[in-house]
Parts: sequence; C-alpha cells; structure tokens
Amino acid sequence: MLSVENLHVRYGNIEALHGVSFTLERGEIVTLIGANGAGKTTTLHSIMRLPPPEAPRVTQGDIRFEGASILGVEPHDVVRRLGIGLVPEGRRIFGNLTVQENLTLATYARKDDSAAVQQDLGRVFELFPRLKERQRQLADSLSGGEQQMLAVGRALMSRCEVILLDEPSMGLAPLLMFDMFRTLKHLNEEGLTILVVEQNAKVALDFAHRGYVMDTGAIVAEGTSAELRADPSVKKAYLGG
Amino acid sequence: MIESLFQNILNALQWGSFYSLIALGYCLVYGVLLLINFAHGDIFMVGAYISFFVVTFLLGNFGLIPGLPHWAVLALAVPLVMILTAGVGVTLERIAYRPLRRKGAHRLYVVITALMCGLILENGNLALLGASRRNFPALVDETVITVGGVNMTVLKLAVIVVAVLSFLFLRKVVVKTKIGMAMRAISYDKFAVPLMGIPVDTVIVFTFVLGSGFAGLAGLLFAMTYPVLDPYMGAMIGWKAFIAAVVGGIGSIRGAFAGGFLLGFVEIMVVAFFPSTFRDLIAFTILLLILWRKPTGLFGVARRTKI
Ligand SMILES: Nc1ncnc2c1ncn2[C@@H]1O[C@H](COP(=O)(O)OP(=O)(O)O)[C@@H](O)[C@H]1O
Ligand SMILES: [Mg+2]
Repeated sequence: MLSVENLHVRYGNIEALHGVSFTLERGEIVTLIGANGAGKTTTLHSIMRLPPPEAPRVTQGDIRFEGASILGVEPHDVVRRLGIGLVPEGRRIFGNLTVQENLTLATYARKDDSAAVQQDLGRVFELFPRLKERQRQLADSLSGGEQQMLAVGRALMSRCEVILLDEPSMGLAPLLMFDMFRTLKHLNEEGLTILVVEQNAKVALDFAHRGYVMDTGAIVAEGTSAELRADPSVKKAYLGG
Repeated sequence: MIESLFQNILNALQWGSFYSLIALGYCLVYGVLLLINFAHGDIFMVGAYISFFVVTFLLGNFGLIPGLPHWAVLALAVPLVMILTAGVGVTLERIAYRPLRRKGAHRLYVVITALMCGLILENGNLALLGASRRNFPALVDETVITVGGVNMTVLKLAVIVVAVLSFLFLRKVVVKTKIGMAMRAISYDKFAVPLMGIPVDTVIVFTFVLGSGFAGLAGLLFAMTYPVLDPYMGAMIGWKAFIAAVVGGIGSIRGAFAGGFLLGFVEIMVVAFFPSTFRDLIAFTILLLILWRKPTGLFGVARRTKI
C-alpha cells in the first residue's frame, strides 16, 4: 500500500536519511523504532509531504502509495485524497480552539453533509468518552492523555485509511498508554492501517505485527515483532539487555 | 458646550471608523501569518483610486457607457471596489509574500518586502497617473442635517454604520465559519493545518481577500468623504491604523476595532483642547503611555491565540 524506496532527504545541506526503504500493507500495524535523532519523525514528515521549514527535501529515492509516486502531492491532498493521516510528535492540537472545533476542522475539506460529520463525531466520542465530556473546552485545557486522544480523534475525523503515529506513548502514564494502544488495536481490527514510530521499543513491538529498526538515518534491522524481540542486537540496544 | 461635546464624539466616531476599517486588515493578516503587512495603508490608497476610476466609469464620465443614476453607481461601486482591491492584495500575496514563505524566509525579510511593496504601490501610482491630485465626483447628497445643535451628514453616519457592520461581519466569519476556524488554527500552529486536509495557501489568500476588500471599502468611503486623492494618502493613515491595531492588541479583531476608535477619539479630543499642530504629538504620547502600561495592547493577551 505504502512503500518508501531508498529515500535520501536533506535539511539544508545535511542529509538526515541515507537510503531508507520499508513497506506498509493494508491492514497491518508496522512500527519504526529507534533512538532519539534516528530520523523517524523525518521519515513521517517526508511521507506527509509537509512544506518548509519543517520538511526535509527528498534528493533521491521515492515514496509510493498504491504504486504511484506521491512526491509531487501537496500535503493537504496527502490527507484528503490519499487518506493518510498523521498524529504528530507532541500532538500539535490547536489549543485556541475547542475540542469540538479541533475535530470538525479535520472535516474542512470533506464534501459530505453535516449528518455524516455528526456521525463521525459520535464515533470519536464513543472511542474517547473523555473528549465528549470536554467538547466545549479549549483544547489547551486538556491533560496530556486527553490531548493525545484529541490528536488521534482529529486524524480519524479526516477519514484516513492509514494513520501514522509519531511517539504516541510520549508523556503518557502507563495506564493511559495501554488504553491508547488498546483503542488503536481495535481500530486496526476495523480496518485501519497503522504505522507507529516509537522510542519505547518494548511497547511498540508488543503492539505491532512487524517492525523496522532505525539508526542514524538508515534501517538497520527488520522482521516480525517476535523476530525483533529475539534479535540479540535489538535486545541489547533497545530492550534493555 | 454639551453640543460641541456631541459634535466631537460624532467626528471622532467617523475618523475612528476609517482607522478601524484599515486596522482590521492589519489585524487579520497579522493574526494568521504573523506578518505586519506594511503595504496595507497603500492598498487602502489603491482602493481609493480604484473607487475613483470605477465611479467615474459608472457615471459615464469616460464616455464608455451611458451614465447610471447615483444610487446605482454606489450600489455597483461597493462590490466592484472591494473585489478589485482584494485582487490587489491577493496579487501582492502571490508575487511577494508566498515565494518567501515557500523558502521559509525569516519574518524580518517578509516585513521589509511588505514595506517595499507599499513604496512600489505609491510610486507606481505616481509614475502611472502623475502627481496631480484627483477630485472624486460627488455621489451622495451632502446637505448638513442639524439635530439638537449637532451637525451631521448622511455620509458621516453611513461611514460609522459601515465600520460597525464590517466589524460584526468579520468577527462572525472568524468565530463561526469553518474557514475562520482554519484561520485561527493557522495563527496557533501552521504546521498542523495541512494535516487536517486544509490547503493553507487558500486560507491565506482568503485572509488577504478579507483584509484588502475592507481596505478598498474604506478607500471608497474615504474618497467620498474627503474627495481629493493623492498617491501618499495611504501612508500616514496606514501607519496610524497600524498603531491603532497595536494599541488595541494586534491580532485581536476586537482590539483592532476598538483601537481605531480610540485613536479617532484621542485625536479629535486633543484638537478640541489644544492647537491642531499638537494633535499627533499629544495623541501618540497618549498611545505610548497606554502601551507602556499594557504592552500587549488593550485586548491583546500574551498567549499564542491571535485574531
Ligand atoms: N527541521 C530540521 N532542521 C534540521 N535538521 C533537522 C530538522 N529536524 C530534524 N533534523 C535532524 O534530522 C535528524 C533526525 O531527526 P528526527 O527525524 O527528528 O529523529 P527522531 O524523530 O528519530 O528522533 C536529527 O539529526 C535532527 O537533528
Ligand atoms: Mg521524532
């Protein structure tokens, strides 16, 4: 469904990815694990085709979706035409809008009527009842866990079929984190394809079907979650021995 | 005494209306882009000139069409002037600001570019149309009505009403509509907006359409009220409107609106008690004191929320 092929990208003159390749099939949960600065966020931003200054420039390689290159696609079209959603690192919710405004904003480009939007809103509130309680509050006032729910809910409101998650566990208490992954697992069973980036390798491998290990801008290992868990070098570097 | 007070209040409201209408445009663009669009005063000037040509054309004075009655000229001029002036604003955005944004240029360069755009508009006008001033044709009945010793014209009242309605309209757009929501979202965090499937450039163009459109409307009303046009008419009033927007709390629509009227009041009241040569000196000293007490402006808040 999504394939990244020999991707080289630069920020200015500094190359941040040196030939990254991986694939994501429909219905899968795949994880990209690696230490801070490995290039995980860079990879996700490249897929989303985000504009400067955040975005890296692709100098070599390709990103394909359903077989076609998406290098020329505008970021808003990556979301609305290709159905790829990103839950960014640090959530990046709109703190000056209410919870409900954050969610409806994601339906901005949708042509369907408000009934369909209401239905989707109902579905998000069903998944995250906390958001329903707080729908009229400014998103700024939410706790970290609630902000993460909002960031995921927002991506779902855009009707994405693939969701890219950038360190969803960051800053969450263990209970909230497991709740979040349980909800995501449930969404995957309903057909959502998931690519999750994590520093927390243990949690990520428990959650995902397959994974890739990234180090300083390159993929250094890949396999099913079980294989990676058993890999001595992965064990040593990412799972605490 | 009380009559002259009412007279001054009315005059202040009218002056303030022009400042407010222009300040609203500064505020919208700043709120969304964090760009102080220093060309905005000159867009107002271009709006006044566009008004001149549109009205002269519709009156049949160019001989291209048979002249229309005055009410029809006015009814057509308002939308035409707003659309054409909006076009000027959007053109600036397209050829001057967007390329810089694409390259991720530092804000300083964008502000300098805005200053240059203003100078280009002024001097382009000078080169194209010459230095002679234009006299704006009279469109509305300017008989002075006197109510309880206070002199007013229909035009004067209309200017105030239009300013208030424009404010209410813009406020509604920003608070209630989806595109207004997108504008607020951009002001908070531009990065995440395309992730919502929203084309950021479209929202930015819309912002320039609103800001410049209402500057055009201000230009039309100004030309009708003070019917002598020159290429530098936008510079001073533009600076003042910008200061009004800052004192009101730049980025806040309510602030821009209130700031415009505040400046109008301060100016008129200073003239009521001091020689008129003191006007700007005292007016700006007062505004300086307000900013000194409250650096974020009257309605400004020190958080990331704009407009
Ligand atoms: N906006 C940017 N400008 C310049 N360099 C960047 C930028 N973002 C990330 N980098 C660099 O790219 C490399 C990868 O960063 P990143 O993708 O954020 O890693 P990760 O998400 O795995 O922690 C790092 O060396 C980082 O310093
Ligand atoms: Mg990262």
